[in-house]
Amino acid sequence: MARLLEVKGLRTQFFTQDGVVNAVNGISYTLDEGETLGIVGESGCGKSVGVMSLIRLIPSPPGKIVGGEVIFNGQDLLKISDSEIRSIRGNKVGMIFQDPMTSLNPVLTIGRQITEALQLHLGMNNAQARARAVELLELVGIPSAADRLDDYPHQFSGGMRQRVMIAIGLSCNPQLLIADEPTTALDVTIQAQIVDLVRKLRDELGMAVIWITHDLGVVAGMADRMLVMYAGMIVEEAGVKELYANPRHPYTIGLLGSLPRLDQLTGEKLDSIEGLPPDLIALPKGCPFYARCQYRIERCKTDTPALENVGVGHRAACWVDVTRDPVTTENPWHTA
Amino acid sequence: MLSYIVRRMLWLPVLLAIMIFITFWLGFYGPGSPEQVLLGQRYSPETAALVRRQWGLDKPFWVQYGRYVLNYVSLNFGESLTKYPGQPVATLLARRLPITLQLNFAAVMLGVPVGLLFGAIAAYYHGSWFDRGIIFVSVFLRAIPTLVAGPILLFIFAKQLKLLPVGGWDGIFSPSAILPVAILSTGIIAGFARQTRANVLDVLNSDYVRTARAKGLSEVRVLLGHVLQNALIPLITIFGFMLGGMVEGTLITETIFGIPGMGLLAFEAINARDYPIVIAITVLAAVVFALSNLWADLFYGVIDPRIRNT
Repeated sequence: MARLLEVKGLRTQFFTQDGVVNAVNGISYTLDEGETLGIVGESGCGKSVGVMSLIRLIPSPPGKIVGGEVIFNGQDLLKISDSEIRSIRGNKVGMIFQDPMTSLNPVLTIGRQITEALQLHLGMNNAQARARAVELLELVGIPSAADRLDDYPHQFSGGMRQRVMIAIGLSCNPQLLIADEPTTALDVTIQAQIVDLVRKLRDELGMAVIWITHDLGVVAGMADRMLVMYAGMIVEEAGVKELYANPRHPYTIGLLGSLPRLDQLTGEKLDSIEGLPPDLIALPKGCPFYARCQYRIERCKTDTPALENVGVGHRAACWVDVTRDPVTTENPWHTA
Repeated sequence: MLSYIVRRMLWLPVLLAIMIFITFWLGFYGPGSPEQVLLGQRYSPETAALVRRQWGLDKPFWVQYGRYVLNYVSLNFGESLTKYPGQPVATLLARRLPITLQLNFAAVMLGVPVGLLFGAIAAYYHGSWFDRGIIFVSVFLRAIPTLVAGPILLFIFAKQLKLLPVGGWDGIFSPSAILPVAILSTGIIAGFARQTRANVLDVLNSDYVRTARAKGLSEVRVLLGHVLQNALIPLITIFGFMLGGMVEGTLITETIFGIPGMGLLAFEAINARDYPIVIAITVLAAVVFALSNLWADLFYGVIDPRIRNT
């Protein structure tokens, strides 16, 4: 598989009145053509900002990409002109967002919102674009698509709107689809439908997918590889099976422990990770997870661990080998 | 949508009936009375009683009110009592209203586009010196009452520089219209610029604008195709209120510049206690206000499909 995307040392900051928010702190990863990468982490860990930085979609000001490279098809997206990045957005890279209720323009018809990108990037005329829009709506499973082209977003349910968003994201046959928590705002049965739909479309159309979520369960059946992010950094990266079977970072262990399992005894309590992530304006020295870590040692307080190989295609940023070393602190948050 | 329009139209007469009742009630029970105005400082109770009988003022409230309503329904607005004795109020209004309308029309045509443009630019470059300048100037201008700005402008442009006439009215396309239109449109520009700025900022931060950008649209297409229409929706209400306030809104401006429009007529009539004129202008103002709100609601439907389809 050819390399589609290579992110090197990406750093994004927000310059606010309270100080500089270090949203993304030097993340590096790669993505091959047709591959699906899951990015997990709790709210505010820089997942969304990290992927939006790829196509320079962060609001600026206050946001600014302060360093790194984003090599897409051999081209650094952070160095090209504004009009060149616009020719990639919506064309080579499609995006779907978290909240389908607010992500569609309320005063434009669904048809208009789909045809816009088709006319812009593929040079279609009105009739061609409308015909393609009907195809796309059928593709994402909207019944009697042709009749719904002139409907407005408020005439669709949340799940249907997310299907429309997917149609927009896929309209120009992108090489990469970025899905930024596309199921978070939907109810559980609809979540499953949307996940199945994207998986099916990915297999049909052969695009690569970056799927962001804070729900490890959602991506388990879909991703090839996973990144775990914490405080704007990647703390663990592994193939999806490896990550679930053999997590190497204490944060990943915590995330997995907070998931309900089918083979769990009934009545057993789920584990939660106590405390809150660090303040991104004043990041602590040392490992960002120190304050909440059960495995922490003295060194974690002063030195930030780098992402290092711990197995085949498996990287983790931790001083401790959780497979050997014991838990040092039962209630880290209370003793910190 | 159609049923909505019809419902709104049906409300209109009800609203007017309430308005007419309140106006009449205030005139009836308020201090002063028509015979005092007619007879001046000194008069005998007998003369007063005679006048009251002549004008039907001795009848009970409901009888007088009924007659008054009937007159209004048949579009008979009475005659001026004191200021222009014997002249029908309708004739006076017909002569004065066009001047006020021209004045306001010019101010709106100038003020709304300029205000929209300034507000939109300020929002797009929010935080810049242009943005700060717009906010400062619009708050500053809004804070100066016409009562102060009018005489100052007259002093500068009419008395010192002798560029413009001190007052009077030679039609909307004459130098006499420049200062009044400037004052009226300044208020509109300041109000619209601030409101537009707030709305555009709101819309710029919305998820669907992010979606539009994610499609690769240029900033111009994002602004014209996605931001503008959404930012206009809340402005319709303000525009409606603004139109509604027009009939009386020019009262001070017209009085200061001596423009013979509705505002000056209202001012004269109130000073002279010319009841029929005061009441007629009040009712007219209410009608304009109700109609402009109706218009605003209908326009919402044009611009916002969520309202159109309900």
